[in-house]
Amino acid sequence: MKAFWNKISANPYYKKIFKNPFTYLTGAVLLSIFQIAIFASTGSPWGVSGTFANWGAWLYELVGGNVDKWYYFSSEGAQNTLNAGILNHTGSWLNFGIIFGALAAALLASQFKIKKIKSLKQVVAAVLGGLLMGYGARLAGGCNIGALYSAIASLSLSGWVFAVFLFVGAFIGSKLLAKFFM
Amino acid sequence: MSKEYTIDCLGEACPVPLMKVQKEMEKMEVGDVLVAQIDHSCAMKNIPEWARNQGHNVEIEEVDDGEWEIVIEKTK
Amino acid sequence: MQDQATESTGSIRRSSTSSRTRKKKKNQLPAGFAVVILIVLVGLFLGTKNGMLALFWTFGCIFGFILQKARFCFTASLRDPCITGSTSVTRAVLIAFAITTIGFTAIKFGAFASGQAIPGQSYIMPISLATVVGGILFGIGMVIAGGCASGTLMRVGEGFTMQMLSLLFFVIGSLIGAGHMGWWTENFIAAAPRIFLPDVFGWAGAIALQLAIIGLLYVAADLYEKKKMGITE
Repeated sequence: MKAFWNKISANPYYKKIFKNPFTYLTGAVLLSIFQIAIFASTGSPWGVSGTFANWGAWLYELVGGNVDKWYYFSSEGAQNTLNAGILNHTGSWLNFGIIFGALAAALLASQFKIKKIKSLKQVVAAVLGGLLMGYGARLAGGCNIGALYSAIASLSLSGWVFAVFLFVGAFIGSKLLAKFFM
Repeated sequence: MSKEYTIDCLGEACPVPLMKVQKEMEKMEVGDVLVAQIDHSCAMKNIPEWARNQGHNVEIEEVDDGEWEIVIEKTK
Repeated sequence: MQDQATESTGSIRRSSTSSRTRKKKKNQLPAGFAVVILIVLVGLFLGTKNGMLALFWTFGCIFGFILQKARFCFTASLRDPCITGSTSVTRAVLIAFAITTIGFTAIKFGAFASGQAIPGQSYIMPISLATVVGGILFGIGMVIAGGCASGTLMRVGEGFTMQMLSLLFFVIGSLIGAGHMGWWTENFIAAAPRIFLPDVFGWAGAIALQLAIIGLLYVAADLYEKKKMGITE
């Protein structure tokens, strides 16, 4: 059995597709194809972070909170989504898929490793960065996927405006990173 | 006699490993070798890219599952 | 593009003290195949419940696979120019924008020309102070946390404990943001314009203009990298 796996590992096609990284250009073309495919088949482009607000609401309900009165979740559609639960939510399955797709890619390349947090700095960075992204994504109506990639490809001016200020944020973030998190 | 430096970037996400490499490279003399230990799959792409663009000699060694050593020889 | 060789040719001389004895690598392929089978089984199960869930699951797995294989990182596309001057990821993102724009516009125009409602118009978002503040906060956050939304999910799949933590706080931040949305909507978002470029420039004008801008940005990014990194051809 072991010999069988090692034989696959040595196969040049295996190396090309599963072992070695794709170039950025290959990534760009493939992502574009599937972006167009998801839009054509579901009528809506790819979005990631809107789902996180729902996850937040479900998490809040788990600890006894209630968001029924919140403006953000007040529409009938939002209420139906929340009541149907996470396992019936298409966006959640999309996000679970990203995790499992990446896991499969890393394992098939024999490059999976649990990377432990090694300093307090990383904890602070993760907590602060996560909170800023979550809050920012709600204000802007999405993240780098929904409010940037999908919005720009949808010929929305909002995507370009978001891009400009993302860049400003990334510039500030780079300075902060060099100063505090190195 | 050229010296060899090692930096440990295990567990660190982009762009920290690359920034550490840049910082370390500044201190080194021509001919010195830097070994950067990384386990971030993006860093194993962007560190060599940066170093090659700068004209240094670069080698990547996969030392374990998901763990690499990037060896950079300073050339200028 | 350089070949990302993973095998050492051994031309750089390293001092003997540092060369570690190589650990025997485990082959993770069996685990990889197990995950692929699990993905298929989950997809089949979801298909019996609701076809749409299976479709989204499939798309998610494909996106995750591509993002990881290409190390495609939207954060890096905006951050690397600030830190190293490298724009290779930036240019790849611009290419993705261009290709996807063509596909999306074809779908939208097709619906428009046949008199149907144009799909996906909820992604034409209002432009207000919320966009500005949101963009800056998100930009800072993604650089500090080392990954945006898709990047964080991808890195959770790769085994980063740090990103698992940042995902949790991304979710909490989203909840806080959602909680404040009433105020932001009332004061800024409700009155803000949603600008769909074809409404302003016509369909042909909008796509021509957008592709021209992407092209110009591509050239600018390339020149910027050459200047910043001191590459002479």
